Amino acid sequence: MVRLLQNKNAVLTGCSQGIGKATLKLFAENGANIWACARKPSDDFEKMIHELSETCAVEIWPVYFDLTNYSDLKEAVKTISSSKRRVDILLNNAGITYNALFMMSSLSMMREVFEINFFSHLVLSQYIAKIMMRQRSGSIINISSSAGIDGNPGRSVYGASKAAIICATKSMAAELGEFGIRVNSIAPGITHTRMLSSMTEKVINETLENTALKRLGTPEDIGHTALFLASDMSSYLTGQVIRVDGGM
Amino acid sequence: MLLQGKNAVITGCLKGIGRSTLGVFTREGANVWACCQCSDPSLESYISDLSYQHNVWIKPIYFDLCDHTQIKNAANEIHKNKNQIDILVNIAGMTDDSLFHMTSMDKMKLVFEINFFSPMLFTQYISKYMIRQKFGVIINISSISAIDGNPGQFSYTSSKAAMLGATKTLAKELSGFGIRVNALAPGVIQTEMIEGMPDDIFESFMRKSDLKHAGKPEEVAEVIAFLSSDLASYITGQIIRVDGGIG
Repeated sequence: MVRLLQNKNAVLTGCSQGIGKATLKLFAENGANIWACARKPSDDFEKMIHELSETCAVEIWPVYFDLTNYSDLKEAVKTISSSKRRVDILLNNAGITYNALFMMSSLSMMREVFEINFFSHLVLSQYIAKIMMRQRSGSIINISSSAGIDGNPGRSVYGASKAAIICATKSMAAELGEFGIRVNSIAPGITHTRMLSSMTEKVINETLENTALKRLGTPEDIGHTALFLASDMSSYLTGQVIRVDGGM
Repeated sequence: MLLQGKNAVITGCLKGIGRSTLGVFTREGANVWACCQCSDPSLESYISDLSYQHNVWIKPIYFDLCDHTQIKNAANEIHKNKNQIDILVNIAGMTDDSLFHMTSMDKMKLVFEINFFSPMLFTQYISKYMIRQKFGVIINISSISAIDGNPGQFSYTSSKAAMLGATKTLAKELSGFGIRVNALAPGVIQTEMIEGMPDDIFESFMRKSDLKHAGKPEEVAEVIAFLSSDLASYITGQIIRVDGGIG
């Protein structure tokens, strides 16, 4: 089997569950060495990455930090850069969901959502892009959401944070392109992750009705597109938002 | 290999993006009906090299997109052996450089015939087989100029924009049969189509482009391979720009 990311090194955030976990597996299966970032250590996580690195014959280094704690984030970056390895790929995946009507959304919650879904990704991207600029190549992938494009009731804050990451993607692509760095974004539709439990059955069924393929997305569906965007298959693709939503 | 054991119909295989797509698809293990307007010795030797190298079959299919009888016969020829048709890539097309007021009605009709009506007629035939087998992927090649507009390319951009509307509607109509439909909008790609592009226009595109260089036909072909593969099984009704970041 041809491994699409053979000899590449990737930084992945939000690896302990959902889309991050599925992508971690796909990237490892495709030959990437990975700095697997998660908020805190757990036996399950350690066991998973150990098994994965053995089966796939790749290196996986766990990196633990809270994205909203910038001094920890900086330490994490130091760990990565002090390895003196190339960083070919950065996947900004970690995030939180938040459902509340616009009139009911508190300022403190707005700040928290943007802190995790937006600011921390940009800070991490600044550090990692500096490494990529030096090596004059790299692929940055930001996980956004269809809610960041369409706007949905109850998603004003979450959707706005995901819209912000789309705009950042395009500006980063424009600024970093000349250094050989590609920046793209994925906008998943309704995906089978823990975030789904925050949606009512009624909303899920209504959305499915409007989805051409009539099924929910899987974390692997999103991971496959991340794999494509991380690989050289997408070498002429930058500044794009790819909807992986089954046709909404 | 991403397309191992799949069978694909590719139009416009003689040169440019079509020829590269033929190369990438066979490398990824697909068998191909390679469609182009007329037989060509260089294409035939390319085909025999590829099929030997990658251990796949490639059948040349010749038809003129202006001739509806030939289109029908080609579809019949493809279906003759009852092989599953997994993928259809509509690449064949023509360019036309003329200002809006200088474009004759005859020219508009010809451009739409080649870039829109004929590919859609061909797609009707091929998708009928896909509907029966309840599986398929259709990829239409449009252009960024169909989204952004481009002065001096009135008929070309309009015909390519029609392709985008068709893509979205087909995605919705055919999804119930397990058929995904997507479009690609390439930017400035090193093919014969841009050979006539004046230097100043080329330079202005490169200034606008994030990656500051023109794309290679293979880079477009790789994206077509991704969308055709099962890696993209949850992507439908989308238009993907492959333009190095323009606009």
